[in-house]
Amino acid sequence: MKKWLQSVVDNRWLYLLILPALLYLIIFNYMPMYGVQIAFKNYKAVRGIAGSDWVGLKHFQTFFSAYYCGRLISNTLLLNVLSLLFSFPIPIALSVIINNIRNQRLKKFTQTAVYIPHFISTVVLAGIMYILLSPTNGIINHAIVALGGKSIYFMNEADWFRPIYIISGIWQSAGWNSILYIAALAGVDPELYEAATIDGASKWQKVLYIDLPHLIPTATMMLILNCGSLLSSSTEKALLLQTGGNMATSDIIGTYVYNMGLGSGQFSYTAAINLFVNVINFIMVVSANTISSRMKGETLF
Amino acid sequence: MQAKAIAKPSRQQEIWQDRVFNVVVLALVIIILAITLYPLYLVLICSISDATLVTTGQVTLYPKGITMLGYNSVMENKEIWRSYANSIFYTVGGTVLSLIVTMGAAFTLSRKFPGKRLISFLFAFTMFFNGGMIPTFLTVRDVGLYNSPWVCVLMGCVSVWNVMLARTYISTNIPEALYEAANLDGASQIQYFLQIVLPLSGTIVGVLAVYYGVAKWNDYWTGLIYLNKRELLPLQTILKEILASLESSRELLMSMASDSAENDAELLNRAQIAKYCIIVVSTVPAVALYLCMQKFFVKGVMIGSVKG
Repeated sequence: MKKWLQSVVDNRWLYLLILPALLYLIIFNYMPMYGVQIAFKNYKAVRGIAGSDWVGLKHFQTFFSAYYCGRLISNTLLLNVLSLLFSFPIPIALSVIINNIRNQRLKKFTQTAVYIPHFISTVVLAGIMYILLSPTNGIINHAIVALGGKSIYFMNEADWFRPIYIISGIWQSAGWNSILYIAALAGVDPELYEAATIDGASKWQKVLYIDLPHLIPTATMMLILNCGSLLSSSTEKALLLQTGGNMATSDIIGTYVYNMGLGSGQFSYTAAINLFVNVINFIMVVSANTISSRMKGETLF
Repeated sequence: MQAKAIAKPSRQQEIWQDRVFNVVVLALVIIILAITLYPLYLVLICSISDATLVTTGQVTLYPKGITMLGYNSVMENKEIWRSYANSIFYTVGGTVLSLIVTMGAAFTLSRKFPGKRLISFLFAFTMFFNGGMIPTFLTVRDVGLYNSPWVCVLMGCVSVWNVMLARTYISTNIPEALYEAANLDGASQIQYFLQIVLPLSGTIVGVLAVYYGVAKWNDYWTGLIYLNKRELLPLQTILKEILASLESSRELLMSMASDSAENDAELLNRAQIAKYCIIVVSTVPAVALYLCMQKFFVKGVMIGSVKG
């Protein structure tokens, strides 16, 4: 015990250095976790978090029996599943393409260029969508009309919300997400390519039998980790693309919590919905991480 | 020299499939570059073109009827400049604070000390579970940060992911022998941190500065949720109103286009152009920072992938 105390004193500077970060986490992460109890209470601002009355599972029951409950869950899941399905393979393909550019300057330029959209804010990305897809003066609709079609009100139609969300997401992050795969390809032993060349392999064969197999471990890992967050909604972006006309598909759990909770002040009810999602998320993320670290252990050998 | 010549097959040796392959790769690269860069290029040329030509879809490949009217009306808009100044303050303040807090925590977590397991757990757990939007909002309100400019500086100043990144960097790049040497010379842990670890951590500080800086600059969410006073809002939250809605604050844009325009249609067109200019003005800082420091980025991701 004395030794332990001595060690604590010896390391006092270390505690001081980590204190600010720890305080931050306590205030912005752990105190809200304590506040989660309002999901089981009837929160009244005057009585505070601790002083409000308990109502048990009432809010959860209301949510599960509400007609929009199914729509919210399926919208959230579908948006994430479709997004993962279409976005996932693209960074892999991109890394193989970039890895096979022979001109080094073009390679560097392409890499620099495809990372740029990652640094553009979600607001600006959504803004560009609104401008390009405008029914009256957007360039896309000008092109459609010029080709003899009819102008489409993209941002206000439920059928277009998911494609717009997914395609703009790919444009913004496919390049950035390819970095990991490019790094994996950079780690491939050059002797493998040389040996393949001597055996008369074509470049396409090298892609198939050297590049892709080297990407599989990274890809599997990314896939598992992504699956862990299928119910966590990227509220910030969905909210920006949400309009009165596309609510049928754009109304996801996150935007509902925002609109009803902060918009209409139903704190306890939306906190309950949020908690339900977070618990499922927690289970999924933890299992995803467990699976991925098991696999990592295996792929080391 | 000779080894190199052997390893690299000459052009004649290439089989025809490889030529097709190279052509296909080149074609794909051109398509990828076009898809990535064209929207950005289009915004840029539209921002300096004549309003009517842009809204009728005639500006596609190069600027037409070059004018700075759009930029002029953005310049005249006080709200945009005020929020721009706010964003600069939030970004610079937030990034400096984030770096100090993150590096301190990362250094501590790279060392051994009593209670390390518990503290590491407290850090990691926040990556898996959070209280959610509403309890977080109530907490921020209860601690008195609602409607305070400091909320934009403080929010997100500890990203556990970034702490892990920095910790991995410190424990893999700074040899333990240095610590022992410093210890023998009688340096305390804080002296070791300030005089040895920090000067050797240039790369990771650069990576984190850009990660935090860009995240702060591009954040509209904190302003939307925690700030109610218009004069405190950061640029991105103002932009949400101007850019990302169907009505897109017609009045606001009309007011900035004012005076010289002849009629309503002209006004509306001018407002449209102003949007392109706003996009350019608000995006340039983040992209410029990236282009200046791009060497750091790839390194940052690599460090992350080592530990994953």
